Amino acid sequence: MNMLAKISNVVGSQASPANAGLVVTNVSKTFSVTAQSRMEPLQALKNVDLFCPQGSLTALIGPSGCGKSTLLRTIADLETPDSGEITICGESIRKILTRGELGIAFQDPGLLPWRTVRENIALPIQVLKRPVGEASAHINTLISLVGLAGFENALPAQLSGGMRQRVAIARALVTRPSLLLLDEPFGALDQILRRTMNLELQRIWMGDVTTAVLVTHGIDEAVFLADQIAVMHGKPGRITTIINVPFERPRPESLFSAPEFHRLCDEVAQHLHH
Amino acid sequence: MNGTSTYAGYGRIILVAAAFLLCWELAGRVPVSGVRVFPPISRIAMDYLVSWDVYLNHVSETIRTAGLGLLIGSVAAAVAALVFCFLPSVERLFQGVNITLFSIPTVAIGPLLVLILGGSWPQIVLAAIMVYFPTMAAILVGLRDIDPRHVDIVRAYGGGSFSVLRFVRLRSAVPGILAGLRVAASLSVLGAILGEFGSGERWGLGTFLLGSLGQSNAERLWGISIAAAAVALAGYGFFALLGKLTASTVQVTMAASRVPEQMSWSAGRGKLSNIAMIAGSVALPFAIWSGGLWILGLSSIVAPGPLDIVSYLFVSPESADNLVRLLSALGQTLPLAALGVVLGLLAAFVLAALSVVSPGMLKIVLPISMVLQSTPLVALTPIILLLLGRDILASMAMAVIVVFFPAFLLLVHGFSLVPRAALETVKVYGGSRLQQLRLISIPHSLDYVFAAAKLVAPRALLGVMVAEWLLTGTGIGNLMDVSRGAFDYGMVWSCAVVSILVSVLAYHLITVTERRFR
Repeated sequence: MNMLAKISNVVGSQASPANAGLVVTNVSKTFSVTAQSRMEPLQALKNVDLFCPQGSLTALIGPSGCGKSTLLRTIADLETPDSGEITICGESIRKILTRGELGIAFQDPGLLPWRTVRENIALPIQVLKRPVGEASAHINTLISLVGLAGFENALPAQLSGGMRQRVAIARALVTRPSLLLLDEPFGALDQILRRTMNLELQRIWMGDVTTAVLVTHGIDEAVFLADQIAVMHGKPGRITTIINVPFERPRPESLFSAPEFHRLCDEVAQHLHH
Repeated sequence: MNGTSTYAGYGRIILVAAAFLLCWELAGRVPVSGVRVFPPISRIAMDYLVSWDVYLNHVSETIRTAGLGLLIGSVAAAVAALVFCFLPSVERLFQGVNITLFSIPTVAIGPLLVLILGGSWPQIVLAAIMVYFPTMAAILVGLRDIDPRHVDIVRAYGGGSFSVLRFVRLRSAVPGILAGLRVAASLSVLGAILGEFGSGERWGLGTFLLGSLGQSNAERLWGISIAAAAVALAGYGFFALLGKLTASTVQVTMAASRVPEQMSWSAGRGKLSNIAMIAGSVALPFAIWSGGLWILGLSSIVAPGPLDIVSYLFVSPESADNLVRLLSALGQTLPLAALGVVLGLLAAFVLAALSVVSPGMLKIVLPISMVLQSTPLVALTPIILLLLGRDILASMAMAVIVVFFPAFLLLVHGFSLVPRAALETVKVYGGSRLQQLRLISIPHSLDYVFAAAKLVAPRALLGVMVAEWLLTGTGIGNLMDVSRGAFDYGMVWSCAVVSILVSVLAYHLITVTERRFR
């Protein structure tokens, strides 16, 4: 409870179990390095606490190798924590997962090359053993939401990098997730495309508001998109600061050149580099 | 390989083939050599026209047995690959069996199968055995080498290993499966023909070849060679068309020599369980051998078990004589096979390296090698007989040819994978192509030299044994054939076991050398 009270001061919203979207409590994770190499075991996460209010977007930012992606993968149950607990709306991640209420997109879109855009977006439905036909209308909505109408039957190889990334995001949204995890979804894109995608992501996310966690390298991306920014440092991986982002939504593109935007970016940068 | 370069490749093949046929026809018109060695192509065509019904009967029988063998072998390969994919410890246990099946000199077990099975089953089983390993390896690599991100996506929606299999692994494996079948199709033809040699069946290209070797009818021998090659290439081409958009053959041959290494005997957790695994993996082939005989209920005179062989060679009153006969035959065969491996690899290496220095040459040599690699080696036997006669040179040539083509293709592939940035680093400092080769390409493709050695060592033994059986009348290939005629089944089985052991031993010797090199 002490931890929740502390974060509620920082975030400025009422942190109570009632609006708890995602709660990470005291999570630690150590990777035992392979037997041959004489390296020390790597402590990827040490006593990580994170509180994300329901319907908020949290950005995880930090230097390479600080454990951002490990934290995200641990939240998604792709890694098992050594200790600690993760709940979503008071439930375990396993329950959320098997109900299909988790959406996830990685730095690499990871599309199945033999499936069309539409079939790639439908993959989670099939894995969950649900009838694809019923989701058909929703898939159409998503395809136009991410601006890919007319490309339903294209294969990934026929799409540009930005288009593939948008397919991955549509796929992440197809099950109407209550928790959306994005691991550097625009990491491989150039600066201009990235900015466009930031605007699109805001639009998409606002249209279907869910609790979201975004791992990113970009300070401006984090400040533009997030409600709160969790700054991480490595060795061992931990969250060192949480910064509240006060800008109103929808945030216009002009925000990127506003002085208060840059002030906040500088603040984040200071926390990153200290 | 993209579309245009494939068509350019076909164009080159046709061009080279046309020039080749023309030279052939002209050479055939030269009085002395023409009649006995190089019959003009028109006379071979004549033989097809006149005896088309005989050819058709033989060819269709070989296609039938090879096809059945391909079916059985690839179904077994698929089942095995699925099991190995999900239960790696079973794979480790079966490693001895897998390596045995990979390096088995098929010609050696043909006569054994004839003792056990009837009808055309020996050919079918032999074809299936030849098909099993490359197909299994290709499918297993396809099932295993998947994009980890795809697995993450499936798991993030609560999918278990069955969902991963269904949505990711099976589909990812398709290109590999098709490429594996491509190689397997031509191997199944080789297996069927080798099986026919000993089977005494009336029809089949192997029977046809065996019956024609004694007659000095050059057109007929060339006709059979070409027919056998055409059947094998047709099988290859069928699956190549199916998998037109997918991975290349070379990758699959690489997989065939790589997979047993991945399941290396030294890789394991506890030392004790590791030793138990190795022991189990060594014992399993012998267990299958004696268990199989027990289930089939065969007499130990026709089908001796492991202990009978030990007794035959070391305990019984005639054992000393048996052992001497076996070892002296082995003494004739092994040096030739070893020399064949060394010469074939050396030639392949030099030619592949030359093709790095002058890439233009590759454009002509590569398509020819691709075709010849998938030609069954028995198709070469009559041609070697006509060119080199029946002495030691024939065995030698057989071994070198069998080694050269797959090794060359693998090495060219290895050289082509050298990163460009590394080559350019040498170039920037004014280095010549030769320096690029010495400093970068050769060290970089050492992996491929060892992979090639593992792949071809068993083949060289097979090549020499086929030549001995059919042509030279020496060595272990001949001893098998003679012993079969004399109802000396202990010797037939001993020859088979020894040649399998030699192959497996060679395989491990190369693996050990490779480890020391690194």
